[in-house]
Amino acid sequence: MDYGNNRFPRTPYILIAIGVALFLTGSYFGLFVAPPERYMGEVQRIMYVHVPTAWNALLAITFALVCAIIFLFKGEFKWDARLEASIEVGCLLAFLLCCQGAIWAKPTWGVWWDWDPRLTTTAVLLFAFLGILTLRKFVDDPVKRGVWSSVATIIAYVDVPIVYFSVRWWNSLHQLQSSPETVSSQFYIPLRVNAFAILFLMTGFIMLRARLASLRLAQEVAPPPMLAEEVGETA
Amino acid sequence: MSGMVVGGWGYVWTAYALTAGALLIYGVTLITRLREEASRSKMEAKRQ
Repeated sequence: MDYGNNRFPRTPYILIAIGVALFLTGSYFGLFVAPPERYMGEVQRIMYVHVPTAWNALLAITFALVCAIIFLFKGEFKWDARLEASIEVGCLLAFLLCCQGAIWAKPTWGVWWDWDPRLTTTAVLLFAFLGILTLRKFVDDPVKRGVWSSVATIIAYVDVPIVYFSVRWWNSLHQLQSSPETVSSQFYIPLRVNAFAILFLMTGFIMLRARLASLRLAQEVAPPPMLAEEVGETA
Repeated sequence: MSGMVVGGWGYVWTAYALTAGALLIYGVTLITRLREEASRSKMEAKRQ
């Protein structure tokens, strides 16, 4: 039983291969082709991995929200497996986002970390979703686990718009969002290539992780082998 | 004085290496976990 997450067995591997190729291309452009930025110099090249990571982290968490809502309405375990997968990948990206941000902050702000609204709300997001993954470990009943983690995901998702708008709502050290109109093509080409690279990698990872979650779930709900067969095997 | 941050390549390489390394390690461990789980579930299916 695969709970509907093994329909295209090769697709995630193809997506990951495309993602790796795009990431190498985007990073080449970001590191060697794009010019240094006027004020931040070479350090600004971190943007070509930091911003795509941020976009995709929020996208993975948004997909988790969609899975949570569908699971609550339909009760199909394939959506619970996808929920677990997207939260795990979202947490990985959110963790990377915080690390990249700290590396960028040191040479530009002079500190590794600041309790600035954008950084604080992102850290809250990471720990909220890590908490949901932990919650799942402690609940044995698959139905309760699915329902509780879906509800927790919907509640925790409230932080996503707060993360996005935090730089507009409060005084923040973090810069405002840029748009293609305000960024030269030399800057946004590596940015977009890496955004698609991480999107492909993220999608491939979520598909594989959902397959893993489905396999575990299938073993959890499988009926125990007959006592007579157990005796026969030991004999 | 131009007000431009000077140097900083070390930070740039660290950020790229961290990103690539974390994604690579996650991908490898994910595929390993999936293979182990798939072979375990095949064994279970045979046993039943």
